[in-house]
Amino acid sequence: MDDQLKAALIEIAGADNYSEGLIDLVSYSYDASQHSARPSCAVWPQTAEQVSRIMALANRLLVPVIPRGAGTGLSGMAVPVKGGIILDLSRMNKILKISIEDRLAIVEPGVVYANLEKALGPYGFFFPPDPASGKVSTLGGNVATNAGGVKGAKYGTTRDYVLALQVVLPDGRIMRTGSRAMKSVSGYDLTRLFVGSEGTLGVVTEITLKINPKPTATSTALATFSNLEDAGRAVSRIMYSGIIPSVLEILGKETILAINKNTDLNLPEVDAMLLAETDGYTKEETDYQMAKIIEVFSSNKALEITQARSEQEAVNLWKARKSAYAVLARIKTHFVLEDVTVPMGKVADLLKGIEAISRKHGIQIATFGHAGDGNLHPQILYDGYNPVDVEKMEAASADLFSLAISLNGTLTGEHGIGISKAPFMSLEHDPVAMDVMRSIKRLLDPRNILNPGKMALDTKDETGETPTHAPANA
Amino acid sequence: MEAKYDFEKKFREQILQCSRCGFCQAVCPVYGSTLRPALNARGKMLLLKEVMDGKIDLGEDLIESLFQCTTCASCAANCPSGVNVPEIIKQARKDMVHIGSCHPAFVGMNDVLQKSTNIYAEDELPDFGRKRDKKAAFVYFVGCVGSYREDESTEETLDLMDRLAVDYTLISEVCCSGVLEDVGYNLNPKLARENLDRMFSTGAGAVITGCPYCFRTFTHRKEYDELKEKGIKVLHISQFLKDFDFGVKTGKKVTYHDPCDLGRHCGIYEEPRATIKKIASDFVEMQHHHADSLCCGAGGGVRGAFAKNSLSMARRRLKEAEEVGAEILLTECNSCVHNLVNAKLRKQNIKIYNTTAFINELVNKIDKV
Repeated sequence: MDDQLKAALIEIAGADNYSEGLIDLVSYSYDASQHSARPSCAVWPQTAEQVSRIMALANRLLVPVIPRGAGTGLSGMAVPVKGGIILDLSRMNKILKISIEDRLAIVEPGVVYANLEKALGPYGFFFPPDPASGKVSTLGGNVATNAGGVKGAKYGTTRDYVLALQVVLPDGRIMRTGSRAMKSVSGYDLTRLFVGSEGTLGVVTEITLKINPKPTATSTALATFSNLEDAGRAVSRIMYSGIIPSVLEILGKETILAINKNTDLNLPEVDAMLLAETDGYTKEETDYQMAKIIEVFSSNKALEITQARSEQEAVNLWKARKSAYAVLARIKTHFVLEDVTVPMGKVADLLKGIEAISRKHGIQIATFGHAGDGNLHPQILYDGYNPVDVEKMEAASADLFSLAISLNGTLTGEHGIGISKAPFMSLEHDPVAMDVMRSIKRLLDPRNILNPGKMALDTKDETGETPTHAPANA
Repeated sequence: MEAKYDFEKKFREQILQCSRCGFCQAVCPVYGSTLRPALNARGKMLLLKEVMDGKIDLGEDLIESLFQCTTCASCAANCPSGVNVPEIIKQARKDMVHIGSCHPAFVGMNDVLQKSTNIYAEDELPDFGRKRDKKAAFVYFVGCVGSYREDESTEETLDLMDRLAVDYTLISEVCCSGVLEDVGYNLNPKLARENLDRMFSTGAGAVITGCPYCFRTFTHRKEYDELKEKGIKVLHISQFLKDFDFGVKTGKKVTYHDPCDLGRHCGIYEEPRATIKKIASDFVEMQHHHADSLCCGAGGGVRGAFAKNSLSMARRRLKEAEEVGAEILLTECNSCVHNLVNAKLRKQNIKIYNTTAFINELVNKIDKV
């Protein structure tokens, strides 16, 4: 580490908030993806002003800065591929304001999702996106990756709740976007530009979130299907029913088999299972909605439909879905958890396509996910120390992305592009769109110091980069 | 390639199974107090992975992370990939000791337990004014913290057992030395032998421990297998007391802190609560309880080696007790009592006791009236 830079960073953040120790450098080399690369040092800023001074300094000295929350991202967006300074925002963790009358909460970026949830609970309010990593992930990270979760179908994702931001630009200038008002059409929507920008355009230092009253009643049901087409048709038909379920999750056969092999849940070994939840404020209301959904299940050849009659029964129906990730995480030493997303009418096609890809490459792919918003999680299981396996995984991923795009879908519904999907950006975005994205990046970060090497924004990476999902340093 | 260290031979698969999801950050007490991911379970698994990959080597640089774990096991309890982090850490610490990289506090602890009879190198074992090594139905095994640091609490516990007319004896006990297994060394078999011989000579059919860690050692370590072989039961004091009636009540708001060694490590959650509910009409759980309980920060040698962070973990726990408005915090571990009392700020009015000590205080009050 350059002595002048080190001294300046310590002067800005304090000696307790700076490290170049090996243990920190190793830990900041990774996120939840298979990528890794060493940073030069780590800084824990405490204020927007400190972030501003760090950015101005790094910009002047041409040192990359990688903003980081809890490091739970699955696409490598927090991995410092070009080295540089890790800016860990987790110590900026104050909830600044909760205003029920304005229906908003103002938070620092390091606040953990679950802590906001806990603070809103007593008011009967919540911040709906509910990412699976919510117990650990930070709201800054949720904003930077536009995080979503099981309730996307009804409640949308992070982007639908961000009213305003304070952002430090790569040159150190501090900017406010958006408004605390519920509505605003004042100027370009800069707020949305930063949501999901994966830390490539600015460092978010304050977030104003819209919050919702929390529904107090739910109904839950589980249906099994002996073939995928029926399950897929049921998903589409639910959309026609006029009911928007708060949860509509699907488990594919490979996932069901894996769960049976590794737990004592003893699930029926069918082609697909759909788990539906409706929410509202009275049981009558949620049961009414659920009755409509169950009607759709029956008329689409569901084998067996179970509706929970108590909270405990609902918990039981959720067990298979909730165990999926942990079961699949233990089968092989490595996995890639994709998040391709298609229009809801194509969910069955996507599932069938995934099975074909699995057969073609001779690699295990187990799928579960959010059928209600078309966002599936094919989890490719492989041994990262076996080059043949790694090659198969890479080929299968590439096919998966092509499949999603061919179904008018997208590479990623909620995990982001990062490093993993950067080579596939041009599969989804036409050259003009890529040019506009790169132009925006150059406008805000002309010296390319903020999280470089991500999202195919570096012009020089435009061609010739090969897809890589393998452990970068393995 | 042949594995260089024992941790790799034993745990390679498990370390690779860590999917780096980071969910342990939600529960790791060291992370919670420092917000430094290098100290979290994931950070530790990444260090060991890089050692296995040949990218870094075990050595001094890793001490601050690998030796800073209270072995509270909440990471293991919450790991989607089923990685048993505390066991891996314990083995890695042994490997580090083997190559001469160990935190000086633990080198010192091991030295002490090769020469002395207790972790504090104290010369004289207190007898609490009671005759030791008698014939009795039960042995009461105090443990180092209860003997030398929380002796007042032990005194109260013994008074209570006297009132209950329990036929017990203290023994000329030495450290169970189980803690050495946690900090990179091995349980000292000579000390185990001394304890066993003295327990046997009392003719007791059961050993009651005041310390959850001693309880764990006596029930889980092979050096103490003779207890089981001879049909001698081992009970933690909370298990022993659950069937007694104390004839006292408190109207104060009481909460209970699950010691990691008793709860997550031994699955004892309900007996302590059964007793407390008998004596407290206003019992409240903290935000984290039972298997989700938050560590007091004392375990795994962290109190000795990283005192500042250990206290800050205890403060987080006390904050939870304050948040639920508890006036009395009860626990079943002298080490937890010791750390929580040390961490308590003057402005905090909450009182911290071992359950036995608290009950005895209530009984004393009635006697005085």
